[in-house]
Amino acid sequence: MAGALLRVPLFKLYRRLGWPPILPINLTLSPSPKCNSRCLTCNIWMKREHELTLEEWDKVLASLGRAPFWFTLSGGEPFMYPHLVELAQSAYEHCRPGVINIPTNALLPSIPDRVERIARSCPKSQVIINLSLDGVGEKNDFIRGVPGNFKKFEERLELLLRLRNQFHNLTIGIHMVVSVFSVGHLDEVIAYAGRSGADQFITEIAEPRVELDTVGLPITPSPESYAKAIDRLIAHVESKRFTGMARITEAFRVQYYRLVKRILDEQDQVIACYAGWASAHIYADGTVWPCCVRADNLGNLRDHNYDFKEIWFGEKIKGVRRSVSAKECHCPLANASYTNILHHIPTLARVGAKVWQPANRHRQVS
Amino acid sequence: MAFDWLNRFQHRLEKEPGYAAKTLAAYRLGMKAKGSIVGVVVQPAPDCCEAARKLPAGKVYHPDQAPLLPLPDCPQGCRCGCIYRPMMTYQQADEG
Repeated sequence: MAGALLRVPLFKLYRRLGWPPILPINLTLSPSPKCNSRCLTCNIWMKREHELTLEEWDKVLASLGRAPFWFTLSGGEPFMYPHLVELAQSAYEHCRPGVINIPTNALLPSIPDRVERIARSCPKSQVIINLSLDGVGEKNDFIRGVPGNFKKFEERLELLLRLRNQFHNLTIGIHMVVSVFSVGHLDEVIAYAGRSGADQFITEIAEPRVELDTVGLPITPSPESYAKAIDRLIAHVESKRFTGMARITEAFRVQYYRLVKRILDEQDQVIACYAGWASAHIYADGTVWPCCVRADNLGNLRDHNYDFKEIWFGEKIKGVRRSVSAKECHCPLANASYTNILHHIPTLARVGAKVWQPANRHRQVS
Repeated sequence: MAFDWLNRFQHRLEKEPGYAAKTLAAYRLGMKAKGSIVGVVVQPAPDCCEAARKLPAGKVYHPDQAPLLPLPDCPQGCRCGCIYRPMMTYQQADEG
């Protein structure tokens, strides 16, 4: 984490002056768009791509060296990718990231076993597994389009929490997409998550993304309904006491929730976006994006000898960086927002104050 | 609508070869696999060609019957700003 913080001034320079050239610290890999959920808020599962092989991913990750601190292995459903364990191991071997973050719909029975293999083989990385939950019981199954999903969620959660007790580097969380379909029962999910035993409960607002083919779809809650719901979540988070990695991620999340409210209200970047400098996304077919919302095609790694640097320090990305700098876009994408908060000193200071707040100032709630 | 910039932005994106075939294949799969998608709509660009302007507004096509974008003779070629949008069950419910 300290290494990532030390690079903050460099990224600020890079964004402002185009120098020094540095590789991103936050990287999302989507090895496959395939997914066995049928969520109302996402259409990525319909896509089929000429996916990078594990050998190709290995070359890409080798080209990144020790630059990335935070990896998100995303999808589709990441565990639908048959070589997810090996992909995580390859990222670990080449990049030694501080965090390997994997969201999952919790449907496949093989998930706990594969999580165990990842946690065991990546001992110096914090492995965060976030199980998706958009409602309790049938409400979840309706939004996520799979009857019986909630029952499977509970089965996987139980096994993963047992694993968590064996691996000090494993964090198990619950992740909710706050959409027009789910915003009305956020309180119910907060309460469920609170008694579930999970290390953290995090939410992300449903937003249009080119990646998910959801541009123009009415899935984002109104600013008013989101603000009402999320204020209650912020109050809940601030009343709880978290430990370990969850303490840091929850402190970031509170700032993220406040940021989202402002972005929805002001329809503006609010704080500078570092997508295209400090964060990036590699899609299943090897295309590099600054982020999954815009999904600008910066180049395909297959055309650049799998060398990420060729694309990152190339010509094509410069136009996209100009566009992001000029605030031609704004969005509440959580992954990029984390990185943006890291580079916004006032917000980062608020995160720091929350993390280092003495334990006796927290109020324990049941 | 929230994030309307993204809608305008996507209209400006250059189309990759095979855009129509790939997008319609995804929607076909989505319908076959019982997703919430019920069809596809063509959203013409603000500066679209005459042929695109003549397409019936808001018509929901089955992916097999949707016109291929860019339309034949579109003078903008891969820079054609017309795009496909999935039509979802919950949109039809809202409209109906």
